[in-house]
Amino acid sequence: MKKWISILIVLIFGIYLTYNYIYQDHRDIKTERAEFSLSSIALFEEFTKNAVNAEKKYLNKTIKITGPITEVNANSITLNNTVFCVLNSLLQSKLTIGKPITIKGRFIGYDDLLEQIKIDQSTILN
Amino acid sequence: MKKTIYLVVFLNFAAFSQNKYLTKTGSVTFQASVPAFEEVKATSSSTTAILDTSNGAIAALSLVKGFRFKNALMEEHFNENYADSDTYPKTNFRGNIINFDINKLTSVKTEMRLNGSLTFRGEIRELKNVLVELSRNNDIINVSGTFKVTPSEFNIKIPKIVRDKITEFIEVYFNFKLQKK
Repeated sequence: MKKWISILIVLIFGIYLTYNYIYQDHRDIKTERAEFSLSSIALFEEFTKNAVNAEKKYLNKTIKITGPITEVNANSITLNNTVFCVLNSLLQSKLTIGKPITIKGRFIGYDDLLEQIKIDQSTILN
Repeated sequence: MKKTIYLVVFLNFAAFSQNKYLTKTGSVTFQASVPAFEEVKATSSSTTAILDTSNGAIAALSLVKGFRFKNALMEEHFNENYADSDTYPKTNFRGNIINFDINKLTSVKTEMRLNGSLTFRGEIRELKNVLVELSRNNDIINVSGTFKVTPSEFNIKIPKIVRDKITEFIEVYFNFKLQKK
């Protein structure tokens, strides 16, 4: 009897672990610590020097970027005309073009068509 | 070489900038769900698309890491085992809308056909006669359409264990709300 109970407990625990593994949560970029923190100018400069290497360096990493706002849309902000950030949620407050801002998000790649850096799951830090 | 092509395309668009319509938040979804199994579906809502209305040339670029799945583990497997997105971070399409004429576009959807080539995971595949729906509202052109691809066309091997859970043909939907620049 005791044996069966312990087997059952192990089994339930196993199912629990498997379930947690299969249905694990997505990364939460908002609460992740940024691996890199730099200005939009410095970031873009790395891409003008060597886009392939820079892309490898930042791909899928959480980064913090500071730069002047050059374009604002309902769910995106562009810094310095070169860093395009898609926001986590719709923009709540009104932002002023030209004002510096710090954004944290996940680097997803370099857009050769527009020559822009793309960041997703962004949140505004200040 | 690739860079030169992009540059040429870019300059081309720049030269006709008054005819350029673009979006940076275009949506591309692919779906390979089998009923009764977990949904295999992902969407990129940060796809760049540019349409040159002087000749109907269209270019689109999605960053593979930008495709989001409902299931985090599925997203991880997609990136690591199937799309190999660390090595091939981009997927793009370049083509032409056949007999494109901006004057034919109204607020009512018009059907047209699209030819072009799709690059994914470093493999290029020609797409022919893809049905696209276009409509226009002042300075906004809406382009949407769908096509089918198979994993083998892009050299992606689906392991036996998940083969039953993924459809043979993967449906790709795109929807671009292009704004005049």
